[in-house]
Amino acid sequence: MSAHGTTPYTQVFTGKRKNDLDAILLRYPNKQAALLPALWIVQEVHGWVSEEGMTEVAAALGLTAAYVKGVVTFYTMYHQHPVGKYFVQICTTSPCLCAGADKVTEAFLKHTGCNELGVTSPDGKYTVIEVECLGACGFATPVQINADTVENVTADKVQQILAGLK
Amino acid sequence: MTAPLVNLTIEGRPVSVPAGTSILEAAKTAGVLIPHYCYHPGLPVAGVCRMCLVDVEKAPKLMPSCATAVAEGQVVHVHNDKSLEARKGVLELLLINHPLDCPICDQSGECELQDYTFQEGRQDSRYREPKRFNPVEDFGGDVLYVPNRCILCTRCVRFMDDVHKDAVLAVGERGDRAVITTAPDAGLTQPWASNVVDLCPVGALLSKDFLNKARAWELDRSASVCTGCSQGCNIVVETRDNAVVRLKPRANEAVNAFFMCDEGRLNYRWLNRQDRCAVPMANGAPAEWSTAIAAAVGALNGKRAHVVANASLSNEVFFLLKRIVGKTGGSVKFDVPQGAEAALPGVEDLALRADRVANATGAEAFGAARTEQPYAGVSAGDVLVLVDVEPSAVPSTALNAASAVIFIGTADPSGLSKLTAAFPIANVVESDGTLTNLRGRVQRFLQAKAAPGQARPAWFALADLLIALGEKADYATASDIFAALATSTPAFDGMSFDSLGLKGTPLAGSMAGAGR
Repeated sequence: MSAHGTTPYTQVFTGKRKNDLDAILLRYPNKQAALLPALWIVQEVHGWVSEEGMTEVAAALGLTAAYVKGVVTFYTMYHQHPVGKYFVQICTTSPCLCAGADKVTEAFLKHTGCNELGVTSPDGKYTVIEVECLGACGFATPVQINADTVENVTADKVQQILAGLK
Repeated sequence: MTAPLVNLTIEGRPVSVPAGTSILEAAKTAGVLIPHYCYHPGLPVAGVCRMCLVDVEKAPKLMPSCATAVAEGQVVHVHNDKSLEARKGVLELLLINHPLDCPICDQSGECELQDYTFQEGRQDSRYREPKRFNPVEDFGGDVLYVPNRCILCTRCVRFMDDVHKDAVLAVGERGDRAVITTAPDAGLTQPWASNVVDLCPVGALLSKDFLNKARAWELDRSASVCTGCSQGCNIVVETRDNAVVRLKPRANEAVNAFFMCDEGRLNYRWLNRQDRCAVPMANGAPAEWSTAIAAAVGALNGKRAHVVANASLSNEVFFLLKRIVGKTGGSVKFDVPQGAEAALPGVEDLALRADRVANATGAEAFGAARTEQPYAGVSAGDVLVLVDVEPSAVPSTALNAASAVIFIGTADPSGLSKLTAAFPIANVVESDGTLTNLRGRVQRFLQAKAAPGQARPAWFALADLLIALGEKADYATASDIFAALATSTPAFDGMSFDSLGLKGTPLAGSMAGAGR
């Protein structure tokens, strides 16, 4: 995972990933329709979608790079900057806030060393952001770390959760 | 094939327009301007700004007039309470994040947001929260982007996509964060990219060249024709304090649609040059006009004239030069500087042409010869007549061979040897006249500023010279000369300044305007 943008860009759609993209293309009536999944592949590989990534996707799908950039910037779930190895999304919508989501956020910011929302910790491991409803109001506060969701998180469980991330 | 006419009523006025016309365009024919931002006649319809909403009777809701085709019997209300209320709402929303920095905005005075807000907008804003802020961005080329002022009409995006066919712009982000964004590693460096500045209805896309240079209301505007190449794009010359500060394209469907290239647009400083020939000269010293003309006549007496002319001079000038060499013997020659051709892909037959002169077609129509070596063949004893050429470009071999040199031009000729007479003349924005573009379209240019010192229009000086040579040339205006050349030149038959109007007419038998 090249997370910090200092390393030169490596092509994403080669070998197996090229085949993955071809398989995805079969699901859609035209290449443009495969834009979102193609961008997901880039983000999976590099951790974020760089401008080189947008250009590569544009070339692969026969779109203009400007159009792809428009789409990447439209959706908040594509990262336009490198993020930490663990991307922590804390739900801070009303029910979770009532259940102490603000304390959970504080604890994550403190124990990850990020100190600020959206900023990657100095060790490059964590980025913490607040998100809107994760759809788990009955298990407030839910926290999504990369693809996994942890439910019923309280401030005192945060250190334990972080210790479990390896 | 013309489409059948459709009859409708707009603001109580009966209108007949071809089927398929939008209500917005139909309203223009009735003299009703429906406010709009995203619509532009040179671009595909987007329907994103919602500013052109009008009330169409029997329609369930307000219709976007740019995207609604006319229908038989339609009754359209542009200025009734319902549509005014809707547009007032649109304006209020557009102004939520607009900085209202008109006092420091270049667009002020020619801003559609300003105009329509003044006409139809609320007097104040109900929005009390902080406004969105984004920093100014350099889009490359001559274009600066001020996102805070942007109303996201997407005219610039559509111009680059559909007209320039180099889609480097897109709308990025979403909602109130949305801005125009450039493709990775790309900018507006394409040869026609600066048209986005004209297309932008607000002050979001600005010309760096014109930045903070003048207020729109201080400018004097004259219709003219670009002399940068043989395309003959129609332009507006904007001057302030007798100096050209900006060139803008002027719409002409038959020549340049709504556009002009960056090279033509930014190449105007030579029109303001200070090292001008401003007083007539005779035998190397400043003199009265009459003395200078007498010196020229003396030199031409019994000699052949070898005339080298700038092929961006007007039809009138080439007509008079033809008459002069008809009297003295000799020939008129011109060369054509070449440059890279750059087409605007989305408009048929529109390009920055390789021939970087404006009137080669006209020059040839009046017997001037196009050659790469205009100074070749100056026989001993010939009088070299230089018409608006750069003195430094005249080879010494030609000067040495000539018996005398007559300079009729804008540049300072004092370095020329054998200079018998010099006539200071007005440049293209300092006089009236016509040019013939590469497709044979004859187009007028109008005077935009005053000529320096004692400079006179070239046709004036040449007519005086003709009279001094014993010919009849009592022309009082460029229009008189055009009338004379139209009578004596079959291709121009029947034309006059009046009939040319400001959009020109094709030469008889030419293909001008046949393309579109």
